[in-house]
Amino acid sequence: MKNAIKFLFAIVLFWTLSFANLSCSSSVTSAEEKGKIKVGIVFDIGGKNDRSFNAAAWEGVRRAAKDFDIVLRDVEPGNPTSIEPAMRAFAEKGFDLIIGVGFAQGPIMQKVAIDYPNINFAIIDGVIFEDDGKTPKKNVASLVFREHEGSYLVGMLAAQKSKTGVLGFVGGMDIPLIHRFATGYEEGAKSVNPNIKVFPNYVGVTDAAWNNPGKGKELALSQIEKGADVIFTAAGNSGLGAFDAVEQYGKGANGEANKFVIGVDSNQNGVKPGFVLTSMVKRVDNAVYDVVKDVVNKKFEGGFHVFGLDKDGVAYAMDENNKKLITPEMIIKVEEAKKKIVAGEIKVTDAMAN
Amino acid sequence: MSELLTLSLIFSAIRLATPLIFTALGGLFSERSGVINIALEGLMLVGAFTAAVATFELSNPYLGFLCGLFAGAVTAFVYAVAVIEFEANQVVAGTAINFLMLGLPQLISGAVYDSSGSTPQIDKAYLIPDYFNSISLASILAFLLIPIVWYVVYKTPFGLRLRAVGENPSAADAAGINVNRLRYTAVILSGVLAAAGGAYLSIGQSSLFTRGMSAGRGFIALAALILAKWKPVPVLFACLFFGLMEALTIQIQGAIKLPSGEDIPVQFIQIIPYVLTIIVLAGFIGKSLAPKALGIPYKKEK
Repeated sequence: MKNAIKFLFAIVLFWTLSFANLSCSSSVTSAEEKGKIKVGIVFDIGGKNDRSFNAAAWEGVRRAAKDFDIVLRDVEPGNPTSIEPAMRAFAEKGFDLIIGVGFAQGPIMQKVAIDYPNINFAIIDGVIFEDDGKTPKKNVASLVFREHEGSYLVGMLAAQKSKTGVLGFVGGMDIPLIHRFATGYEEGAKSVNPNIKVFPNYVGVTDAAWNNPGKGKELALSQIEKGADVIFTAAGNSGLGAFDAVEQYGKGANGEANKFVIGVDSNQNGVKPGFVLTSMVKRVDNAVYDVVKDVVNKKFEGGFHVFGLDKDGVAYAMDENNKKLITPEMIIKVEEAKKKIVAGEIKVTDAMAN
Repeated sequence: MSELLTLSLIFSAIRLATPLIFTALGGLFSERSGVINIALEGLMLVGAFTAAVATFELSNPYLGFLCGLFAGAVTAFVYAVAVIEFEANQVVAGTAINFLMLGLPQLISGAVYDSSGSTPQIDKAYLIPDYFNSISLASILAFLLIPIVWYVVYKTPFGLRLRAVGENPSAADAAGINVNRLRYTAVILSGVLAAAGGAYLSIGQSSLFTRGMSAGRGFIALAALILAKWKPVPVLFACLFFGLMEALTIQIQGAIKLPSGEDIPVQFIQIIPYVLTIIVLAGFIGKSLAPKALGIPYKKEK
């Protein structure tokens, strides 16, 4: 009897575990779906409703699904090891386009794309090459953003807003992609005030660094102790800790916040209205929408698709929440720099280039 | 170096040590009764998630905190049934609880808030309040718990029985103590305290729950407990030590440069607490004596 209960307990535990870890939508192809373009998207660990990066990608494919007659399937992997099986499952079922969200899927897509040369792939924040390591892979569209350019502009805004001449940067994982935000931000700030000091800090070196708001807050507080009054976050959920940190310092006599934070990826101005100077938005949604559109119109092209300031792939967010925080003079200066970057007169260092 | 040793560093250390103190004290009850509690990480997460959800729904941090504690107790009860009643391997069952709590909050928040793994942000007005330059009410509670736990473990009949059951359950049984009932109480207490540590993370230090937000703190608390040789007052110092080390790694980042003028790599800074732990454990503490019956299920002789 006791053994039977033990066995039952194990089974229940096992099933709960497998359900909890892999919430996967059904990918059964029914008869009426035959002949339609089939699009599969594999999300990053953050999941499709992270109100940031993955949410933007989800928004893009959903918009495409509304406008075009396609079949859309998605998978949210519970852990990094379930990304590859999900991707291969789409490929085996003969999907026309498979989208991978996030740099972490790069090495996986590299392998899968070789095995299925007739299927189109797209990856966000990653680049896939042929075996020689130089030519971009033909059946993969690498959607990359010039984050350093957008970071340069928010760096200019931060430097103009700062009274102390000290800025903070809270990065998530210590990786080249996040260094790109940091260097662009610092260069932009220095272009306004060459003497400005920027403290770049990182939450950690593993993927837990994206989900540690407690540490994000402590980093922001330590930067504020060192004099920082504007903090740019590029740290996923950990960045929300920095939002709490600036809120803790409250608003001054004139009703304006004493310390500011700059959001990232999605427009986060409304997260803590009045405390968010602006957000460095990355239009992942538009990039994803366009690649689906290309597949539908049979115009898919592999290789690099670069989204910079020129195509509004990156931008600083302005809305009702931060209208009062940013003066027209500040905007004029930033718009000037934007034109120069697009024209190539200002070269922003790309920390991933070397 | 001297500019690092400021008052703000001390406050930062206290904030970072708070969840560790709660959780390590929780582990103390369980392990002193002879049940290994590797599930502390999962118990923290269930406390953090439930507290965040309840606070968001009820707009009251105190009720939210209590709900978190209750969820911790329920989860710990499930763990206790597995390891005490069914004599499951304690490390394996504990790991199962940890895995469960990585996924379950994600599933529930997905269903309730249409988000994968995080709750909405809670307004600052409804979080556990801060006093004296950003020291949370929960931190004060954690420090008050140390003498209370010390008193309970060393000066009450319950404490005496707890220690007896962890050291020699057969003798305790012969003396008329119901070993398994006492172990149930101890494990449930550990769930309540670990959940308090988690609740502090979500509604004290931060303003929301995110997936896996305990980020290994449950295991650090376990290390602190071993470092403190399963004694309440040393637990305080061990947790403050880990808190101080983490605070230092935060302050050092970007503040100290190599002689060549370059920043010290973040990876290097982040290993400092762990390297120090190994040195302290191996070099200074001497023999760490676990409760003798730790990890052994008790079978009553028939």
